[in-house]
Amino acid sequence: MISKITGIVFSGLIFGMMSGIVSAADTTQAQKAIAAAENAQKKAASVDGEWRDTGKIIKKAKAAQSKGDYAQAVKLANKAERQGELGYEQAHSQEKLQIPSYLK
Amino acid sequence: MKNILKQLAMLMVLFGVVLNVQATPEEDRELFQRFNQERFPNVPSQEYSFDQAGRENWEAIEEFPPYEPFIDSGQEMWETPFANGKTYKDCFPEGPVIAQNYPRWDKQQGMVVTLALAINQCREANGERPLKYKKGDINDILSYIAFQSRGQKTQVEVPADDPGALAAYEAGKKFYFTRRGQLNFSCASCHLQNSSLNIRSEALSPALGHTTHWPTYRSKWGTVGTLHRRFTGCNKQVRAKPFKAQGEEYRNLEYYLTYMSNGLELNGPGARK
Repeated sequence: MISKITGIVFSGLIFGMMSGIVSAADTTQAQKAIAAAENAQKKAASVDGEWRDTGKIIKKAKAAQSKGDYAQAVKLANKAERQGELGYEQAHSQEKLQIPSYLK
Repeated sequence: MKNILKQLAMLMVLFGVVLNVQATPEEDRELFQRFNQERFPNVPSQEYSFDQAGRENWEAIEEFPPYEPFIDSGQEMWETPFANGKTYKDCFPEGPVIAQNYPRWDKQQGMVVTLALAINQCREANGERPLKYKKGDINDILSYIAFQSRGQKTQVEVPADDPGALAAYEAGKKFYFTRRGQLNFSCASCHLQNSSLNIRSEALSPALGHTTHWPTYRSKWGTVGTLHRRFTGCNKQVRAKPFKAQGEEYRNLEYYLTYMSNGLELNGPGARK
């Protein structure tokens, strides 16, 4: 009986500690993700390829981070980073003037 | 030997096609206007619009146009001296019939000057605060000038004696055909390729004549707004981050786009959805 209780308490402690450790990791992850998103945003902007919502999404990520919702912060930051990457690729793909075939 | 020469000749032709040997602004304009005319063969060249019901609605609105108060207010602005005693007429001696002179390449400043920019340059030269470029009083004075300039022909020039002018024109043209934003559309995607087709509940307007009726009262805005305000709206609608009103990108775009409507009569201010 006592070993059962000890076991439960011990598991509870471990679980509690792990939650604490996971939270701390999420904080760092959120910060890293937001920094990566901001970099991607700047990169897209440098070639006039920034999309409309990227900045808004980063703001929402920061708001989630300050509320302690790190999972949401990371999710939003990743989305913004992807937008920045795609905007950059898009601008590069559009570097040369391409007159469409229907206008020739 | 003959075979090699033939292949070489073919390669050279292909190379020329691939390089898209640069057309002149006049050639661009002819192609642009022909494309629009062939797409809408039943629309008389100077008329709005491709849709009969749209035209009738527009004619009805023109009887009591919502931009009228803006013209009156603009006239008052035009006639009211600045604090230093000078007026807009001192900057624009031929005014107010001057809308047809813009946009134009300014060799001295080395850039495209639009009417809105010229108005603010006039104001600042006379110690007045510049006006904002999308909303507010700029629309009043532009409405007055546009109304007085009705019937004048669009006549943008790309002077041959300054390569900067052609570069600005080409930059505007490049902008027009560049895909941007999350929706990956260029201006041409909607206003050339898919003009008159529906996007949600609205029909996409054709590019020919796009610049003749600004500033415009848009029902959506509930007020008169500038062409550059519409540019920013369009860019946002394809989910691209918009550029600055009267910044280099939009001035060059206006330069190219207005050139494409050369020959068309100005009929601003306009009333649209």
